[in-house]
Amino acid sequence: MSDPLAPLGREFLSRAVRYLLIGVAGANFYAPRPAPRFVTDDWDLFLPLDADNLVHAWAACDAAGMELWLGDEPLDRPRDRWLADRIIERAALTRATGPDDLKVDLTLVMKGFDFETAWKERRAFLVDGVQISTARLTHIVQSKQAAGRQKDQLFLATHRDSLEQLLKKPELD
Amino acid sequence: MDPELERCLAGLREATEFAKSYRFEMTDDYLSLLARVEAMPQNQSGADKSHVWRALHAFTETFKNVRLLPRNT
Repeated sequence: MSDPLAPLGREFLSRAVRYLLIGVAGANFYAPRPAPRFVTDDWDLFLPLDADNLVHAWAACDAAGMELWLGDEPLDRPRDRWLADRIIERAALTRATGPDDLKVDLTLVMKGFDFETAWKERRAFLVDGVQISTARLTHIVQSKQAAGRQKDQLFLATHRDSLEQLLKKPELD
Repeated sequence: MDPELERCLAGLREATEFAKSYRFEMTDDYLSLLARVEAMPQNQSGADKSHVWRALHAFTETFKNVRLLPRNT
């Protein structure tokens, strides 16, 4: 079975959409194989405050067979630059859903970071042959700390513990 | 109530209370761990991460149908 993010990543790539995988799903990409990973239902993609980029991202989601939502409502049409400007003004999150229960949050906010800073230090990982732009692990962690939500705090504590276990496994160096 | 169940529920209550008051502190040790993980060859651009989702998917598929069976006492 293939990673459900790969088809969307392919569409992003074909439209030159700039995005960064962040959040728990991004952190999971860095976990060395024996280390535990963290179960998450959604993928957080950080996008710049760029209306054209957002319009292209929406088009990519559409082409990947996904539905777009703003809160509980389907995202209005036409999904054009005017609508993207309104979304950017509010730094609102749009969610793309399906197929295969895929849930992707297109967020314009990564707490503690502007897009360009995070973008400059990204990693381009491959998933099923598709390049997935991923934020630095340190940036993901620092952003979670800056967000300060209870679930972030618990993630950080668990994540730190799992990495500390690696210190006991010199063969991972 | 089953004493074992009562013990488990008490543990969950304690964990909930702990979670409410817990404050994570960033440390230099943690930052150096992150730097060490980022520097690993498998975490450089171009690395194949296709196994990540498959491993998590297999994990959730394994446990999603778990049912608690009554104990034979």
